[in-house]
Amino acid sequence: MKNLYIAVLFMSGLLITTPASARTKLVALPDRENTFIRLDHPDITLIEEERTLSLHKGINKVDFSWKGVHIDPDSIRLAVLQHPDSTKLINVSYPPNEQALVWEIFSPENRQEKIRISYLLSNIDRVITYEAKTNHQENKLDLSSYLVLRNFSGESFTSAIFQLDYGKDFEKGILDGETRRMLFFDVANLNIRKVFTFNAGIHPWEPQKQDHTVGIPVSYELENIKGNQLGQHALWGGKARIFQNDANKSTIFLGEDMAGFTPVGQKMALHIGDSRDLSVTQHKITEERSNIRRNRNDHIVLYDSNEEIRIEIENFKDTPADLKIIEPMQGEWEIRKSSHDFKHIHSGEIGFELTVPAKGKSTIMYNYIRQNIRG
Amino acid sequence: MLKLLYPVFTGLMIISTAVQAKIDLVTLPSRDKTQLTIYNSADLTLVREQRTLTLKKGLNRLEFGWENTLIDPTSVHLYAPGNESKVRLLEVNFPANITGSAIWSIESDIDGLVPVEITFFTSGLSWQAFYMGTLSKDEQHMQLDGYVTIRNHSGEDYENASTRVIVGKIHLLDEIMALAGRDSPYNRPGTPQYRPLTKDEPALKMEAYRAMGMAEDMAVAASMAPKAIVKEGLSEYFLYSIEGTENIPDGWGKRLPSFSVAKIPVKNMYRYEEERYGKSTQRLVIFNNDDAHLLGKEPLPDGNIKVFKQVSKDFQLAYVGHVNSKYIPIGQEVEMDFGAARDVKIEPVLMSEKTDNYRFNRNSNVSGFDRNQQWEIKLENNRDVPIRIEVLRNFNTPHWKIKNQSGNKGKFEKVDIDTVKYTLEIPAYSNTTLSYAITFFEGERQNVN
Repeated sequence: MKNLYIAVLFMSGLLITTPASARTKLVALPDRENTFIRLDHPDITLIEEERTLSLHKGINKVDFSWKGVHIDPDSIRLAVLQHPDSTKLINVSYPPNEQALVWEIFSPENRQEKIRISYLLSNIDRVITYEAKTNHQENKLDLSSYLVLRNFSGESFTSAIFQLDYGKDFEKGILDGETRRMLFFDVANLNIRKVFTFNAGIHPWEPQKQDHTVGIPVSYELENIKGNQLGQHALWGGKARIFQNDANKSTIFLGEDMAGFTPVGQKMALHIGDSRDLSVTQHKITEERSNIRRNRNDHIVLYDSNEEIRIEIENFKDTPADLKIIEPMQGEWEIRKSSHDFKHIHSGEIGFELTVPAKGKSTIMYNYIRQNIRG
Repeated sequence: MLKLLYPVFTGLMIISTAVQAKIDLVTLPSRDKTQLTIYNSADLTLVREQRTLTLKKGLNRLEFGWENTLIDPTSVHLYAPGNESKVRLLEVNFPANITGSAIWSIESDIDGLVPVEITFFTSGLSWQAFYMGTLSKDEQHMQLDGYVTIRNHSGEDYENASTRVIVGKIHLLDEIMALAGRDSPYNRPGTPQYRPLTKDEPALKMEAYRAMGMAEDMAVAASMAPKAIVKEGLSEYFLYSIEGTENIPDGWGKRLPSFSVAKIPVKNMYRYEEERYGKSTQRLVIFNNDDAHLLGKEPLPDGNIKVFKQVSKDFQLAYVGHVNSKYIPIGQEVEMDFGAARDVKIEPVLMSEKTDNYRFNRNSNVSGFDRNQQWEIKLENNRDVPIRIEVLRNFNTPHWKIKNQSGNKGKFEKVDIDTVKYTLEIPAYSNTTLSYAITFFEGERQNVN
């Protein structure tokens, strides 16, 4: 405890009239007994600390100040734990230009009273990181999750109970300015799926005309379900670094991504890198107008365009590739013909999923009608 | 390299603060082995060190420091191969007010010597593929020599390091150099966990390193003995493991031969496409990265190719040019683009243009018509070798109809909605002409078809 302190002053009659003078006459400094650091909120950390006050009969002033500590003053709460019916918080006052407050607490007798002070503290939090290793076939993953505690709040906690939204509470100290990383959980042999994704709205249609080899993003998909040894709780977002064993009992680093928050039942997708062994070339090969409607001035006000797209995929790898293709669609459209099943993602996108054979080629052709309105 | 690696044996309570930990330092165990895995698509090297620690049963603490290095402290991990269940890294503590140093808490069931592996990322090492091509006199074949050039600007000397290089496009959230320079390894609360990389940053850094290392590199290359390079495909990467170990002092570079193929069949190709190259004819040398071309055993990493041509029987050479080659997967065609050609000329000429089929609106204004053009593409091969030619014509509209003259040589194909391609072979010192008539439908005439 460095910058945050609490002092209790017993008031007899009107001897002490202002909170400022009260704080200059400290009479006791009760130590923290139990401290709970609650890290279940993604943005804010809640501290709850218990202390025992030596209260005198009558009104006691408790001075709580937090100079240099990142406390949200509006969040500070005081709860009486032992005699909530008779020990009463009468009021709270805030001295000018100070990071402090004074509680007036009434006690019907001289006694020890346990209280709990709660407040929101910023610049203290936790981040989650992941480290994972895939097998050679890239269908299994060993996943380790690390909890990193960071404390730059201005306050040191020599011992506190940390509470997360899942997992057991644990006791740990963390000083101001300190960062601590510890293993959170690890699970071996999770099922994963390797997926390649080509997005025609982002990637060039003619990669051979680029001055660099166009990479197709590669991701691992991991389901947070019980059938995959997970599914107990949501997986927090955090940086994930993925490795793979090589033939020489060593590893290579495959890549890293920021894993998103993944609720139970959902998939976590980790983009590891871009494959340059898969090539996707797309062309529009037909665009014809039909159903032309004109207004009285002979201007065209409505027509359909019949458009055909050809997507040629070449897999240079010696293993098959699961490829997702995302095609942006504009205006009012209707697919008329498609060589492959497609998924209607939303009004502006359709998607294809296919497995491109090893060292093989696949071609997708689809045809749609788009209605064009000219007001 | 963890310069300041100080294993600190303690009883449970010897070290209660980082300051005390520094006082209780014991001797540094030397590195038994070092392995470097260097990436070329990012400023990233995975370092794996093998050391032997003396551990006591129970909790051991080890201090490591990375000050004045380019190591990412968040990447440092310790493993005890074969003893994973007996030696566990419980926690890494980055103490307050101490930069470039951390304390490991290691729980051990073993009392005595324990071989461990320490892995981490560093920046400052890079590698690049480099190729030397030699065309035969008739330009039908090419000798191709591939090299791997490694450069070290990490601030560390790497001695007897087993060296591997990785081909592949890795996805990174942070620059390793930026992580190495943080005062708090995991940043502070409220700051973004990572700063998205701009596309050009790693490339620019590599350029700077290359500029610094070029002179040393060339000097060392002259004294190198050839070493075998073992190649292995992993995920979307290709791993090149260099035989034995290497000494790579800080500031130095090394060039190692990767492969040499004597007689790759190649095609001489000339391409004309105004939208892509302007009015010039582009010279290309083409071959495939496959068995038929004596290649196809590994992808060809992107790198600079310098191409020469044998001009006499006593192996006198002429310089053809250099290109920056793209990454070429196994089985894909390699197109080396040497820029504008001087001795092959391709010139599309508009011979005539007429309009007809006018449409008028109610105000008697022209609302549509057909534009009929007659084109001749004149092709001249002023070289002493036969060549292949591709001419691409882009019309920038889907509303056209083409009619090729029956005497045209070669092959015609529609590439897409507004592009056509002519492909033909022309003998040495000859010329030919491709003729076509095209009609563009303008305005209202676009609604007719």
